[in-house]
Amino acid sequence: MRVPKGLILAAAVLVTASTMSACSLPSTTAGSTSTGAKTTLTVDMSSYPASLDPGLQYDTDSYQVYRNVFDQLLHRDPTTNQIVPWLATTWKQTNPTTWVFTIRSGVKFSDGSPLTAADAAFSIQRILDPAFASQQNANFSAIASASGSGQQLTITTKYPSPTLLSYLTTLSVVPMAYVKKVGNAAFNLKPVGSGPYVFSSDIPGSQVVLKRNDAYWGTKPSITEADFRAVPDVASRVADLQSGKADIATDMTPDSAGQVKSDAALQVLSAPTERVSYLAFNTIHGGATDNPAVRKAISEAIDYSSLINDLEGGYAKPVDSVLTPLAFGYPASLPDYQYNPAQAKAMIQSAGAAGQTITMATSPTYDPQIVQAIQADIEAVGLKVDIQNTDQATYLKKVQSPTHSWGSIRFGQWSCSCLDADGVAYPLFHTGTIWSSYSNPAFDDLVDKARQTIDPTTRTGLYAQAYGVLAQDVPGIGLFQIESVYLASKNLQWKPDAQQSFFVANMKLAS
Amino acid sequence: MTAVSAELRTPRPRLAAGGALQLLRYLAGRLVQAFIALVGMSTAVFFALRLSGDPALLLAPPNATAADIAELRRQLGLDAPVWRQYLSYLGDVAHGNLGYSYVQHEPALTLIAQRMPYTVMLALSALVLSVLFGVGAGMVMALSRGRLGERVLTPLVLAGQAMPAFWTGILLILVFSVWLRVLPSTGYSGLSSLILPAITLASLSAATIARVTRGAMLEQLSRDYVRTARSKGAGTFRLLWRHLLRNISIPILTVVALETANLLGGSVVTEMIFAWPGIGQLTVQSVSARDFPLVQAIVILASTVYIVINLVTDVAYGFIDPRIMILTKGGGVS
Repeated sequence: MRVPKGLILAAAVLVTASTMSACSLPSTTAGSTSTGAKTTLTVDMSSYPASLDPGLQYDTDSYQVYRNVFDQLLHRDPTTNQIVPWLATTWKQTNPTTWVFTIRSGVKFSDGSPLTAADAAFSIQRILDPAFASQQNANFSAIASASGSGQQLTITTKYPSPTLLSYLTTLSVVPMAYVKKVGNAAFNLKPVGSGPYVFSSDIPGSQVVLKRNDAYWGTKPSITEADFRAVPDVASRVADLQSGKADIATDMTPDSAGQVKSDAALQVLSAPTERVSYLAFNTIHGGATDNPAVRKAISEAIDYSSLINDLEGGYAKPVDSVLTPLAFGYPASLPDYQYNPAQAKAMIQSAGAAGQTITMATSPTYDPQIVQAIQADIEAVGLKVDIQNTDQATYLKKVQSPTHSWGSIRFGQWSCSCLDADGVAYPLFHTGTIWSSYSNPAFDDLVDKARQTIDPTTRTGLYAQAYGVLAQDVPGIGLFQIESVYLASKNLQWKPDAQQSFFVANMKLAS
Repeated sequence: MTAVSAELRTPRPRLAAGGALQLLRYLAGRLVQAFIALVGMSTAVFFALRLSGDPALLLAPPNATAADIAELRRQLGLDAPVWRQYLSYLGDVAHGNLGYSYVQHEPALTLIAQRMPYTVMLALSALVLSVLFGVGAGMVMALSRGRLGERVLTPLVLAGQAMPAFWTGILLILVFSVWLRVLPSTGYSGLSSLILPAITLASLSAATIARVTRGAMLEQLSRDYVRTARSKGAGTFRLLWRHLLRNISIPILTVVALETANLLGGSVVTEMIFAWPGIGQLTVQSVSARDFPLVQAIVILASTVYIVINLVTDVAYGFIDPRIMILTKGGGVS
């Protein structure tokens, strides 16, 4: 069949037109066109903040943004991790359950209204209000009441609470009058705080823009604008850094850190966090793992340095319990976990467990490479490991069930956001808590006693004993302490800290 | 001349009074079907989600106690029996209330409305690109069968079809953002940021459309009316625009309609790679957080888009090709 040339030409015009139309769209904002000294910081995060109201969510992507807009009642010193004054300048305990804080005077919210103790009390009350459905409720559930008068904030707890101050470092203070005026929903959309930055604009699901609060009471930050962008794909966050679109990317993988090491314009920033990768045993209905000798053998079967160096790219640190040295009450004298497969094999055999199958529960949330490495290590010493991978919600339902029928061993990651020995010992191993499949009345007693006093020396002594019991019974193994990994432009001067607080006010951009 | 060209020319659709009534009856039937499909979809997604796990477990902070989680469940209304949750859900949907996001603390409909413009913008750009390129390339391939045009375009089309979006997307970002630095890599920052995601998204659809166009063209080119028209002296453009295009438009319309419905549902991979703030990203976030109200709302919306586009396409067939309308008159179209 012959087809006329004209017809081909006509069709070819269509193709060209389509290509042209793709190229002729205006590209006014293409690339990053910064000139002179850069004072705008662009941050790539893995997801968009779930809320900007600091009373609702406490997930990393949310608080990295909103903690810049608000002031917290207390802070932690980024180097020593000690609790230091912030909005509260002094505090004292008047009886075992009553604390009195003096609130800094002269602090103003960005709408001009003064910040008083009543605002601080209100910030606590709304988190405790069941109708508000705050996901932070559990962090403050020890509090019975909070009241403010002038610059004096009084907090009473239901029982002596040694971790109260720790959790108050996460409390952002909101303006009571403004929140009551506009309502919670509007406040979440357009938050007003007293922090070094003010909310400027947003594209829901995409970015939040903060501008410097020039009326801020503290040191004036050098960065005038911070653009927080949600970029879910790790490779895209790397491309943003390489193309100059972003100055820093959070929540990066060790792989991506290796990828940019050769890039002269970029740097890797990392810091050990209080988050620990751990194995927990079912010691109640776990089969082979009901026997402490088998648990001890597994603790010697795992090649910890291979996990840290080969799978975590070196962005992790060895630990000797599920608690990190960063936490209060960390006992310095715990025996190190030793990798000793020969001895582990002998122990499995003498325990009569050789060839038995243990079930390992996990979910896609946890790195499958690590789960498989652990499986291989345990199988090498004579047990069989059956990995049961379910989605996170199902995994949680299974392992938190009071029937303890979830299997023998599970891999998880833990952080209490409190830097305190209680935040690991109680929720993970105390009898009857949702995470614990371990029960030892002597251990429970020590942890309960440590909860009833706030005297640091007594508490440290009790935790030394409690963690000693854990080292004997091995209901769980700390695998490694996780480091937070950020990739950033070389121009950025900043040191990340253990709390993963992302205070833009502490950052500087060299021109 | 006049007699032949009158026969060649496809007549414009005319609706007689009876035809209009027939069309209305047809539309009413389709609307009932659409309604049943929507109720079915809403029910399916409601129960599928309830089987998939408890959102209270995911929302509670790690140090929550069993009592804290039970309280959260009560606040979210998940402690009621499933049948009661289902009835109140149906009641709410009937009143246009698609619920309140557990995670983002905003009405699901508001969240979708915020993201919809971005997905529509991306989908329409991708659609325009893929129709222009796909139809154009398909025509060239058919018309230059065995010659240079086909030899150049066939591998391109195959590549477009074979390359997954996550690969095309990263490749385009590397070339245009990292190396050449001419286009933004991610996010929405004006029209320039639309180019790379639109091309990524269009590359898959364009390939499909090109193949369908080529097939339809080849079929038509062998028909008698083309030869007759040529022998009557019809010019090239006249042949293409007046006769061929209308005759190949039914298969193209079908595939374009399907692609449109897919694109409007939110393209998960493309939106994730380019950090595009559309429905696709929202879907992934809401599913992984078990944000029940939001997932339900998105599914209802996506199904509605699918159903409406299918309906519109079926009606459009009748206008493009009145023979289909005649069939409808006979009551033969389901």
